[in-house]
Amino acid sequence: MTHSSKAFYWMAIPALLLFVTLHTVPALTGVFFSLTDYAGYGTWTFIGLENYFSLFKDDRILSSYSFTFLFAITTTIIVNVLALGIAMLLNAKIKFQTAFRGIFFIPNVLAILIIGYVFNFIFSNSLPLLGQWAGIDWLSTSILANKDLAWLGIVAVSAWQSIAFSVILYLAGLQTIPADLYEAADLDGAGYWRQFRSITFPMIGAFFTINMVLALKGFLQAFDQIVALTGGGPGTSTESVAMVIFRGGFQGGEYGYQMANSVVYLLVIVAVSVIQLRTLQRKEVDF
Amino acid sequence: MFQLKHWRARALSAALAAVLLTSCAGPPAGNVVTLSFFQFKPEAVQEFAGLIDEFEAANPGIRVLQNNVPDPDTAIRTLLVKNKTPDVLTLNGNASFGLLAKACVFADLSQEPSAQEVLPAVQDILNANGRCRDSEINGLPMANNASGILYNPEIFAKYGVSVPQTWDGLIAAAETFKANGVAPFYMTLKDAWTTSPALVNLAAQLQPEGFFDRLRAAGTDRNNSPVSFSKDYQEVADKLLQLFTYAQPGAAGVDYASGNKAFADGKSAMYLNGSFAVPAIRAANPEAKIATFPYPVTNNPANTTVVSGVDVTLAMGRETPHRAEAQKFIDFLLSKEVIDRYAKNQSAFAPTRSAAPQQDPALQGMASYFTSGKLDGYMDHQLPPSIPLVNITQQFVLDGDKARYLNTLDNEWFKIAARMPKRGDQ
Amino acid sequence: MATTETAASARTAADTRGLRRRGRKLDSVNWPLTALAAVLALTVLIPLYLTVVTALKTPDQLGGPGFEWPSRVRLENFSDAWNLTNFPRALLNSAIVTVGAVVLTVLSNSLVAYAIARNLHKRFFKFLYYFFVAALFVPFPIIMLPATKETALLGLDNPVGLFLLYTVYGLSFNVFVYTAFIRSIPRELEEAATMDGASTWGIFRRIIFPLLTPMNATVGILTCLWAWNDFLLPLVILSDPATRTLPLAQYVFQSQFTTNYTVAFASYLMALAPLLLVYLFAQRWVISGVMRGSIK
Repeated sequence: MTHSSKAFYWMAIPALLLFVTLHTVPALTGVFFSLTDYAGYGTWTFIGLENYFSLFKDDRILSSYSFTFLFAITTTIIVNVLALGIAMLLNAKIKFQTAFRGIFFIPNVLAILIIGYVFNFIFSNSLPLLGQWAGIDWLSTSILANKDLAWLGIVAVSAWQSIAFSVILYLAGLQTIPADLYEAADLDGAGYWRQFRSITFPMIGAFFTINMVLALKGFLQAFDQIVALTGGGPGTSTESVAMVIFRGGFQGGEYGYQMANSVVYLLVIVAVSVIQLRTLQRKEVDF
Repeated sequence: MFQLKHWRARALSAALAAVLLTSCAGPPAGNVVTLSFFQFKPEAVQEFAGLIDEFEAANPGIRVLQNNVPDPDTAIRTLLVKNKTPDVLTLNGNASFGLLAKACVFADLSQEPSAQEVLPAVQDILNANGRCRDSEINGLPMANNASGILYNPEIFAKYGVSVPQTWDGLIAAAETFKANGVAPFYMTLKDAWTTSPALVNLAAQLQPEGFFDRLRAAGTDRNNSPVSFSKDYQEVADKLLQLFTYAQPGAAGVDYASGNKAFADGKSAMYLNGSFAVPAIRAANPEAKIATFPYPVTNNPANTTVVSGVDVTLAMGRETPHRAEAQKFIDFLLSKEVIDRYAKNQSAFAPTRSAAPQQDPALQGMASYFTSGKLDGYMDHQLPPSIPLVNITQQFVLDGDKARYLNTLDNEWFKIAARMPKRGDQ
Repeated sequence: MATTETAASARTAADTRGLRRRGRKLDSVNWPLTALAAVLALTVLIPLYLTVVTALKTPDQLGGPGFEWPSRVRLENFSDAWNLTNFPRALLNSAIVTVGAVVLTVLSNSLVAYAIARNLHKRFFKFLYYFFVAALFVPFPIIMLPATKETALLGLDNPVGLFLLYTVYGLSFNVFVYTAFIRSIPRELEEAATMDGASTWGIFRRIIFPLLTPMNATVGILTCLWAWNDFLLPLVILSDPATRTLPLAQYVFQSQFTTNYTVAFASYLMALAPLLLVYLFAQRWVISGVMRGSIK
């Protein structure tokens, strides 16, 4: 088997080299700059861990972390519940299946400018009309302009936009379930809910894990949709970590400082994902 | 049959190759110098393309390659790290431009003949944002904007209101409109930055002389600083809040685009904005009635100034190998004819001595301040761009908590001063 | 033996995919679920309708209730968008980058994942797996400026460099999903082929890669989406304005103080169409792939 194992190395090593050159080296360079006062241009000096000390004294950074977590966890749960449901729906014997698959795919392809404009419009014009008609107070004005509710608007739009991505993965997962399992269950007289719990969900467990981890990781890095919907406002109530990094680091000239923030952010994301993987995989049925 | 198909395919690919070659080749490489020209305004791409054609026709040895990049703040940084600093650039003359100038990215243009033409008040505003050395000029203004109060002359005439000259006059006018059921201002609080035209005008006239110089000199020592936002911005904050009490219902959810449309359709008497909004308002309604007057911030009309920023700054890469050609191009862009045309087409103010006065009736109200040099710079160009000033101000206008607002500004300022001890007071 | 078994079960899976209700004929249409899908589709169709209507308006018709059909339809929005973005050029650039990224990603990433999935018991490959997957969590801002500098130094600040970057950066995610899928393919198939004298490369090409078809289509769709819509990477990597992709070219409608929404929306709709076609085409592949792959 030596020649076959040699072939395996040949398959992997060129990719590894490219990856190290184009990803790992830049990442380490970025980490290094977190120890400097580099502005992204011009000269710099090495300042040790000073950026990291300043970070923990910066209340704006801390509040951006708490907003980001609240937002990311809520959206991840909503997206996965809905995406799994829609994937099963699209996989069922429905009429116009192709057309529906196309339609549910659209939000993922729409440009962020469109999404921002259309939903700003819906939130500030259409929904308030509905709210006034129904006499619901909090809905009678734009929820994006409400300091306490704006984040829910962002959750809704982010979920709307990213469900398609999770649906694609869930659909791929549903294809891997052998049909005879359902036939056997039908014969045993298992109900719909029972089939979902004992066949569908366990069989796509790996895809559920992948989707949960990816969604949380993606929403922890949310940026575009927040800029398009609220610009971090009202005030700084919906400012995400990625937004603080971009505004301060690339537009604001505090590159080194925001690199330190990025490193902490990386560690936080990894820690959260590892915990998440451990918990989810324990529940996953290996097949 | 096969033969024929083959022949056809070959002819087709030959034709394709020919098309590709001719479209890529361009003029002979000979002694032609190509200038890379970073142009930050998407709306001015066609304008500059026309100007470049003219320039190239007059200077056969020079080609200019316009590069209009989205997100110019980020794009210019990537060009810098690639060591591809453009030969000639336009940028907004804001705080980010100041940071780049301080880092000595741009050439010194103080010896340029066209530098002598620039209105001194405008050059001072630009230089105040930052430069490499105090003797240098790192950017020359090509077009300026001006922030002032836009108003609808028909509504003013209908209720017999004349243009306010004083703060009390402004408030009285607002009260008159309010009493007659007309929205005095149309506020667009959804877009945080639209709170800043009012803020910068109040700050420019009400903050103590040399406020930011003294604040920078204080370094990181918040407690012993002779000036601070909490001490010196009380009146600014009070008057800002007073203006925003006139916001129409639901203003918190209205964005800038809807505001332009509403003002264009005569839904309010005044609009707290500036010359930069005029093209957008006209796009929303070509029949819009627009006129302007400067913010009367105090009760002494002699104090009134116009806050103006350099909308288009011309700069040159410090290490450009084509200095003579770049200079030629900059001189061309700053020639009287080009400046006048650009100002006219883009609703801007021309920042040179010889320029023709702005003829646009919408901008007449501020034109005289421009020629007489009664100008102030944008206060936010003095703040590090990593402070989210507009968001903080939006928050204040919504909740009215003055103490917290001013404290937040002080807090952000001194936090950054502590992080960037060297850069903060360069 | 094993081959026929998988093929058989895969065939049934393809024929009878979907949710089954007790006692129902397998091929009859489920109308209640169709109705539910239609209701849910409204959440997409309403915003889409707003988009289309906006793309047909003149700027002075914006605002107001927004849902009404434009009183004057302005189809010139589309030709304006075509000219202002230099649409054919930008479309070609986007197509080159996207096709390059998809083809290279599907071919190379599946290969790397195959090597990893079959050798996870070896320390090197296990390390490789975690190394690639860990990179998934590195926020883009960390690598942004250094990667920009490096690609420029290597002369890769062009479309070729761009699709190479998508391929390499895609490894993190794709290795993750491919490996999960490959591990569910029984090894007996490969062992039989080895007995017949096939090389490891040959096994990958003739057995594994065809079996991966549904996964290839999924990875292809996701890569296509990413490369087609991405804004930030082209913004920082591409140096020559002539190589600008669609998302960059479309920025011409957004200036500092105004956005030309009507023309912008027209241009976004034009950019959306090819992607939707690709998706529908690739979706059929996801479904039919299971069967085709295993029959061989």
